[in-house]
Amino acid sequence: MSIALYRTASLPRPLIFGGAILAASLLLAIFPSVFAPYDPNAFDYAALLQGPSTAHLMGTDNFGRDVLSRVIHAYTIDMQIAVFATVFPFLIGTVIGALVGYVGGISETIFGRIVDAVITFPFLVLVIAIVSILGPGLLNMYIAVGVVGWVFYARIIAAEVKVQKRLDYADAGRAMGYTHMRIIFRHLLPNAITPAVVYWMTDMALAILLGSSLGYLGLGAQPPAAEWGVQIADGKNFMATAWWISVFPGLAIVLTGLGFSLTGDGLAEVLRTKK
Amino acid sequence: MRAVLDVRNLTTRFSTPTGALVAVNDVSFSLREREILGLVGESGSGKSVTLRSLIRLLPSIASQSGEVIWQGHDILKMSPKEVRAVRGGQISMIFQEPTTALNPVLPIGLQIDENLRAHTTLSHRERLNRARELMDLVGIPEAARRLAEYPHQFSGGMKQRAMIAIALASNPRLLLADEPTTALDVTIQDQILKLILDLRDELAMSVIFVTHDLGVVAATCDRMAVMYAGRIVETGTIADVFARPMHAYTRGLLGSVPRVGTERSPLMSIEGTPPGLSSIPRGCAFHPRCDFATNVCRVSQPVTETVEPEHDVACHNSLAVLEAGSPVQ
Repeated sequence: MSIALYRTASLPRPLIFGGAILAASLLLAIFPSVFAPYDPNAFDYAALLQGPSTAHLMGTDNFGRDVLSRVIHAYTIDMQIAVFATVFPFLIGTVIGALVGYVGGISETIFGRIVDAVITFPFLVLVIAIVSILGPGLLNMYIAVGVVGWVFYARIIAAEVKVQKRLDYADAGRAMGYTHMRIIFRHLLPNAITPAVVYWMTDMALAILLGSSLGYLGLGAQPPAAEWGVQIADGKNFMATAWWISVFPGLAIVLTGLGFSLTGDGLAEVLRTKK
Repeated sequence: MRAVLDVRNLTTRFSTPTGALVAVNDVSFSLREREILGLVGESGSGKSVTLRSLIRLLPSIASQSGEVIWQGHDILKMSPKEVRAVRGGQISMIFQEPTTALNPVLPIGLQIDENLRAHTTLSHRERLNRARELMDLVGIPEAARRLAEYPHQFSGGMKQRAMIAIALASNPRLLLADEPTTALDVTIQDQILKLILDLRDELAMSVIFVTHDLGVVAATCDRMAVMYAGRIVETGTIADVFARPMHAYTRGLLGSVPRVGTERSPLMSIEGTPPGLSSIPRGCAFHPRCDFATNVCRVSQPVTETVEPEHDVACHNSLAVLEAGSPVQ
């Protein structure tokens, strides 16, 4: 009883702020049309390149599209990128990492070489290389990120499982005659997964940045889709005269990234005190 | 009574970069139904490794030879699948440190359920009932509520009870107890020992009890085996070994235990330290520390002989030790 009270009373502040930002982002991502005042792709040649006003809170771009509406609609794509670009690396990396950490030996050596090979290249360069081979587009971007990203999760999980498998309760599981798979996934993994979950949150922030970068470079979401990176790229020729086209999507990236990072920090704190 | 477990010439080696270490050397003993056997020795004497060797719970660098006959089958020759069926199903084990031997992130009820899933075909509802029954059996009150709790919500004694409940879930015929009371304070220790004794009677199982505490052995066991440097040096009933120790090491151990109700006298101690596994002396491993050592002890390893009925010893000078008398009489 006292424990439960203590826990709710001390929910870390980063988690509360981060959670609130993410909740709002999710709401915008699921119901963009409810919040957006205009159609994001409607041209209005009567209102080209207008600065922020009461009619257009974030101004309009060179086609007269409402920047606010485009920023809101972009939540749908960018939140999707945050989730899909990270969930597969998380799942694949967790399974492979748990197996490698438990089995050890040769599997560990081979895995170590793969890690070395992957981290030798800068992440963005590797992803851009893969996307340019597969062709631009969101699906290919997920594939490219997945091929590279699982390594980081697997490395975290493998290290944790390696520690956990030497503890008494793992021995106790073996003494009770449980299968190796059962010991790995039912007994060791719940004890090993915390750092990977925390990293996952941070990774989602990075995924949004990556998605926007690829969108900016024309390798991710394709125009005229409303996506923050694409919007920033669209506005780059007008930076001197119509800064609002690029700056507001940029702020949205910062805010959402902050939401994920704060949630990750807060989660780390909660999960750490629980132990 | 017939033997349920027959161990013959069990040897366990660890291959290390610096060479092979023999942790368990030519160990033989047998265990009867409902019997509690105490495996006694100093730290590093190989008692825990012996216990783990019985169910092959060893790291991959270990190799075993000899026979462990369990209900007519040699465990050392079983396939991994057959060994898994024996472990936790027919032979269960409890550990020294209940705090680390329980999984910290799974509720106790789920940990009991895991054993039942692995070894029985009970339905979900039956498993739940069995879990409650087990909590009652090991004396944890408010079973229904406590099944949903996590190990950190249990006290040390309650954790060991929960560990015992998990170990007993599938009605094992043999319980291996690896110093189950060492980490507990004395009053709790007593409760857990009593619980194990009661459960032995109630469930008609045998127990092998590893400990370095002779008081615990005297209070709980039927027979005892004394280990030194990976070998069993003396085996016998508690009464025989305490009254007429025939190995100099056993005699030394008995002399080093303080007693109440007798005249205050200085405790005897065994000079020196037990040898490391990589430097076990030639001949009898105990001879450098032995008051009774003679020339023959330095060159030849004594064989185990049955000197009295049910009283085996591996000592060249057992008669001299016997004549010197027991320090606890």
